[in-house]
Order: sequence, then C-alpha cells, then structure tokens
Amino acid sequence: MCRTGGVPDPAETGDEASTDAAFTALLEDSAEDLYESAPCGYLSTMMDGTIAKINTTLLDWLGLDREAVAGRKRFADLLTIGGKLYHETHFAPLLRMQGELRGIALDMRRQEGGPLPVLVSAVIKRGSEGEPLLIRITVFDASDRRSYEKELLRRREEAERARAEADEARRQAEADRARLADALAVLQRSLVPDSLPAVPGLESAVHYHTASPDQLGGDFYDLFPVAGGRWAFFLGDVCGKGPEAASLTSLTRYTLRAAAHHDPDPASALTTLNAVLHERYTGDGNPRYCTCIFGIVEPGSEHGPTTVRLASGGHPPALVLRSDGRAEFLPTPGGLLIGVLPSAPIGTAETVLAPGDTVVLYTDGLTEARMGPGRDDLYGEDALHAFATDHAPASPHELITALTGLLESFGDGLDDDTALLALGVPAAPSLISPSTSHTS
Amino acid sequence: MNPLTIRQRDTATGPVLHVVGDLDFDQAPVLRGRLDQLALSPGQCLILELSGLAFCDSSGITALLAARQHALAAGADVVLAAVPANLLRVLTVVGLDQVFTLRPDASAAS
Repeated sequence: MCRTGGVPDPAETGDEASTDAAFTALLEDSAEDLYESAPCGYLSTMMDGTIAKINTTLLDWLGLDREAVAGRKRFADLLTIGGKLYHETHFAPLLRMQGELRGIALDMRRQEGGPLPVLVSAVIKRGSEGEPLLIRITVFDASDRRSYEKELLRRREEAERARAEADEARRQAEADRARLADALAVLQRSLVPDSLPAVPGLESAVHYHTASPDQLGGDFYDLFPVAGGRWAFFLGDVCGKGPEAASLTSLTRYTLRAAAHHDPDPASALTTLNAVLHERYTGDGNPRYCTCIFGIVEPGSEHGPTTVRLASGGHPPALVLRSDGRAEFLPTPGGLLIGVLPSAPIGTAETVLAPGDTVVLYTDGLTEARMGPGRDDLYGEDALHAFATDHAPASPHELITALTGLLESFGDGLDDDTALLALGVPAAPSLISPSTSHTS
Repeated sequence: MNPLTIRQRDTATGPVLHVVGDLDFDQAPVLRGRLDQLALSPGQCLILELSGLAFCDSSGITALLAARQHALAAGADVVLAAVPANLLRVLTVVGLDQVFTLRPDASAAS
C-alpha cells in the first residue's frame, strides 16, 4: 500500500486516511534522519577520497567525531592497514575504471573493539558532461557474516584434516596389507614349491587351489630327488583350514623331506611323519593329523621300466591312466590317518609305468566336491574313475588341464583346498625329455 | 545346515551320547565342549550313538578322535554305534574303522 501522494479517494474511510497521514509524515520526516540513522553507513568523498559527508551510523560504528572526519580524512584513512592496501591496489583503481563497485569486503578501523568487517559498495556520481564529481559509498556491517564465513572455513579445515587423516590411515592400511601379502607369499612358498624340478625321463604337472582367501592351504605336495637316481614325491591334506592348517602343513612337508633323505622308503617316511605329528600334538586334547600319499619313482633306463612305489596314510587312492585307455585306482588299504596313533599302519602299493602311462595323486577337495544341494551329494570316486577312463590315455599336462577344467565346472561346489600332482612317462620314446608344467 | 543336538543317557557301563544333526566346522566344537565336561571312570565305556548324524566333515572326525583321546586318558573305552553309511565310508578311507570299535547299535552289551 504505497501511495505517491495526491488527493485521498473520497470513498476511503477515516481509518485509511489517518494511516496515509502517518505514512506521509514518516516520509517527510525521514529524508535527513534516514540518511543519518540508516542501518548502514553512508559517506561521500571527493574524487581524491577526502570525506565530504558521513552519516551518524558509520561515525558511531567507528567511534569517531564528525569534526575529526569531514574534510580532514580520506576514506582510506578509515581502513585497517590491510584494508588500506587493498583500497590502493584494487578498490580505487577498479572504481575509477568501472564507475561502481559492489559488496567489497574490507576491514575498517574502530577506536575501540578491533577492526570492523564490512561490505562496501561505491558509485561515482557524474556531472551532466559525464565528468566524475564525487564518490558515494555505502558500508554494511559484516561482523555476523564474517563470523559465519570463519565458521564455515573452520569446518572446512576440520573436514579436510579429517579427510587427510583418513587418507593417511588408508595408506597405512594398504601398506600393511601389502606387507602381509608379501609375508603370506613367502609362507605360501614354504607350503608348496614354486616350481617342480625337471625329472629326466618323466613329465610332471600340478594344480593347486586354495579355498582360503589368504591363500594359505591345508593341502601340500612336493617332488624332489633322493639318492640312487630316484625321486620322491608326496601329496596330502592336513586337518583344519587357513593359517592353523598351514603351520601343520609346513611341519608335515619338511618332516617328509628330511625323512626321505634319511630312508627313501615310502612307508618309512610316513612312519616317521606319524611319530613326529603324534608326539607334537597328542596330549593337549586337540588332535591334529593329515592324510598323505608318499611315493618313490625310479625312472627307467633306456628300455627299463619306470617303477613307482607308494605308501598311504588314510589318503584317497592314486589313479593311473594307462596308455591303452584304461584307468585304475591303486588301492593302498589299511593305511591310517597320520598322527592319530603312536604307531600307525601304512598301506602300500606298487606299479610300473609304461610309456604313455600317467599316475595322478589328488586330495579329497576333488572327490568331495558338492554336486547338488545336499551335503552328501558328492562327486565321488566312481565319477572320477569314469572321468579318467574318458580321458585315458593322457599325458600329465593333458590330465591336469582336464581336471582343472573339471574343478572349475564345480563352481561353488568346490569349497575345500584341492591339490593335484601327475607324473607320467612320455608316450613316444623320441620325445623323452624332462618337462614340467604348472597350473594354479 | 542341521543344528547339532547331543542327548546324554547314563547306563550301568557308562554314558551314551546321542549325537543328532551336522558335525561340521561350525558345530563340532559343541561336541568337543560336551566331551570336556564329561566325567569318565576307568573301565567305563563311552558310546557315541550316531544314527541321527546327518553330516560329518574332517572337523567332525577330529571331534570323534578327541572323544577317543578323552576316553583313553580316563582309562575308559569308546564305541561308535549305528554309524551312518556315508561316515562309515569316510572312516574306512582314512583307516579309522580299525581304530574305533564300531557297533550296529547302542546296546551296552558287548
């Protein structure tokens, strides 16, 4: 309801007339008072900055007397040192160039109470010829806004500091993880060999799958030379999972290696292992044991047969794929879990490998892989025998490749560690040369 | 997964534990704990009645071996009664059929 004056409408009531009268009085009264007592500071300066006129509000803010200011000080004199510098380098040049400035943040000097943060707008008043006459400046108290900005800044700094700390923590965690991964890789190499040695007159291949995410498995295997041109090999499975199983795996592997050098007889090696595990783990109510097949292979000379002697302690039987397309288990009956009794019966078996024959050892991750929803719905030895018959004859490399494909086909059904080790005599005599292959 | 329950019956010759459910990595410790609490006297016979055992993995085998150690340490015997066919197959593969005394049922008569 804003009127520009004129005669009141005759139809208006007396109430509206009195409101209009009060409004008009306010307008007439306010021109000078509004300037002096406005909720912002006003000042006008000559083009050189000398203050010609300044309102009471601004004088009160700064704690100055009008007489000390008008005609005596320049606008820049009212500013802090920092504000003065900014005025000289930015404010004044920009104003001369653009003719007006808006919302420039400056600090003004107060007689008491420290600098007053303000927002300044300025405009150059020009004469009829466009010549600059004077500068009009409005000053808004920005204390509240400045403290709000400071608070924002403080919060942002806090957030950045927190982020930097989080980044540092993440870097540390990644470094720790990398170091652990390195340590695990070293430990892993102590459980299974990096690579199999080349055995003259034999081909070998392995596959190793760990179900544990830290790659520490409870299955183990090895192949190494012993006295008399013979080679020892073993493959087994310790009870338990993860790091706890791995420590038992390590003990088992090195015990067998040492035992084989002392007496390269398969049953003796497992008897020694049984004594070591039984002594180590009996008596604390926490039985630890393993199943294992240990073998000695004696590669044939030019025309001689390659013989394999096996001993087993509670381990699934080895499987032989013959060159004529048959597949057969090598039962080692009577063998017991290693480490359960002070003296364990060991089952033994012996076979001869003709050119093109391959023997494969495996852990029960293969035969116990789940094939269906039931917990007892397992792959089993019959299915493995059928699979081997389908693939015979096969070189160690071909067989391990086929079995690896089979394991992959189990998907989530393969929930245990699985190790496979195959040894074979190459089919064609002309091709006899040491070769090994790995998959993992 | 079938929850594991163990029911105890005391007889003149010793305790009979009826083990029902899955004896696996997660639940085998339940049987281990029960065995630790079980008091056996020399000459007694601990019978584990397993007809209700739905599943048994290597952790379960370890628990059975722990039962054997516990009994032998107390001068007692241990018998596995009514062993399901699947478990019997596994026990045979690992040679434990020669280590444990197996009986078709839990009758105390020997």
